[in-house]
Amino acid sequence: METETLLLNMGPVHPSTHGVLRFKLRMDGEIIRDCQIVVGYLHRGTEKFGEMKTYLQFIPYTDRLDYIAAMPNNYAYVKAVEELAGIEVPLRAEYIRVLVMELNRIINHLVMMGSLLLDLGGSTMIMYGFRERETALQMYEMLCGARMTFNYVKPGGVREDLPEGFMPKLNEFIKDMEKRIVDYEELVNGNEIFLMRTKNIGVISAEEAINYGMTGPSMRGSGVDYDIRKVEPYSIYSDLDFKACMCREGDSYARYLVRVDEMRESLHILRQIADTIPEGKTVNQRYGMAPNTGAPSSVMSYFPRIFTPAEGEVYSRIEAPKGELGFFVASDGTTKPYRVKIRSPSFCNLVALPKMVLGLKIPDLIAAFGTIDIVLGDVDR
Amino acid sequence: MNPAEELKYALPNSVISVGVQTNKPLAVIRKEDLLKVAEKVKEMGFDNLSVITGVDRFDRIEVIYNLFSYKKKQNLALKVILDHSSPEVDSVTSIWKVADWLERETYDLVGVKFNGHPDLKRILLPEGWIGHPLRKDYDMSTEQFVTIGEDGEDIVSTDGSNLLRRK
Repeated sequence: METETLLLNMGPVHPSTHGVLRFKLRMDGEIIRDCQIVVGYLHRGTEKFGEMKTYLQFIPYTDRLDYIAAMPNNYAYVKAVEELAGIEVPLRAEYIRVLVMELNRIINHLVMMGSLLLDLGGSTMIMYGFRERETALQMYEMLCGARMTFNYVKPGGVREDLPEGFMPKLNEFIKDMEKRIVDYEELVNGNEIFLMRTKNIGVISAEEAINYGMTGPSMRGSGVDYDIRKVEPYSIYSDLDFKACMCREGDSYARYLVRVDEMRESLHILRQIADTIPEGKTVNQRYGMAPNTGAPSSVMSYFPRIFTPAEGEVYSRIEAPKGELGFFVASDGTTKPYRVKIRSPSFCNLVALPKMVLGLKIPDLIAAFGTIDIVLGDVDR
Repeated sequence: MNPAEELKYALPNSVISVGVQTNKPLAVIRKEDLLKVAEKVKEMGFDNLSVITGVDRFDRIEVIYNLFSYKKKQNLALKVILDHSSPEVDSVTSIWKVADWLERETYDLVGVKFNGHPDLKRILLPEGWIGHPLRKDYDMSTEQFVTIGEDGEDIVSTDGSNLLRRK
């Protein structure tokens, strides 16, 4: 029976949209017939800032893109600049970079699990997730003084060496997390309500996921065996032992499972780094001076404020917790980038959402949306 | 033979030149043939469109497509060069669905018109915004204000005198 459709507005201020995102839904009774996404409420013109700031000054702006996991943003931009300018990085600095990025991946997935469960009506997981996140944030605070906006990775190395007492704390964190992931799985994975809300909800096939530009864990939930850390290894990932986690089903539950597995793999990487991290310099001497660790006043190493990479263009990408994070940087031989373009995973993953939720109900939209895992700072830039 | 050379071999009339984008093969193609080339590279296995970048070079506008092949694990960048006065190029939404939003973003911020796009409108900025911010000649000194109209739509104006502002 044909009934009149109803236009329903959801957002921009809504607890389940994780920020300022707006859905325009055309409803036939309870069934979603059309879904339009309106973004841009948090647009700050980060790419324009990139053209107005020097290469080094732009790094803090990248922290504000995906503020849940800011370290990969730092690194992705710095990697593009390093490729453009041909800067080499000491081995210890690479180890520290991977360490902080994998720690951030765990934080990201904890927040994702917590907020997903909260959206679906279970309030326990977010307490646990934020408890573990707090430990990790304190480690970041030890490392660079900031909890969420780090400005830590710099061209040619990292800003500071690991402080005293960091490694014991890391080892403790790894040991705790191993036990706690098991707890989470017992709490969530077999929960009947959770299974009913997520299984066969928001299904997307592998071909469609690729065509719609999905990347990262959301795509691996559809059975595409693809991880940039594996396919185009950057930094020290080629020396580390880990696997790209994957599920075949392509539904919300599969996307959730991939993330739980990824946390385990990240812990495995962290353990390897804790065991094998070499001694040495944390910054390329040619591009900066290492901090004089003897004196109490020298908390910062000094990087050259001014960079002039040769004319050229580069597109460089990494596997951020949410998917493929790419930076296109064009240089015209001056101290400022000519053009910075950010390919953010959240933005591109959202394109597939309307396709996934057609014919479902609004609570299913919440489940599918929660497992895509976006941050609005990353969508709107 | 890298993918850009392969493309040059397959479509010699459409590819103007072959080069590199730092560490990725790059093919500069005629803008009229973009759709033909896109179909060809999709056939060659480039099933993922990573990003579309528009760059304002004062006398011209470049649009760069970064592609990746999941099957062959290869990269390829395509570049088209457009007129600065009226940048127009065919849309590739029929080939890669993700181009829908990427082209809207390029239209919004750089002002490139994509012919054949199903719903070409601004995405990050509100409808009615004056100018395209990532153009080099964008007027940064004029303030623009966004208010919400009766029906919930955005209204852009350059007059902020009726807004509450801290003195």
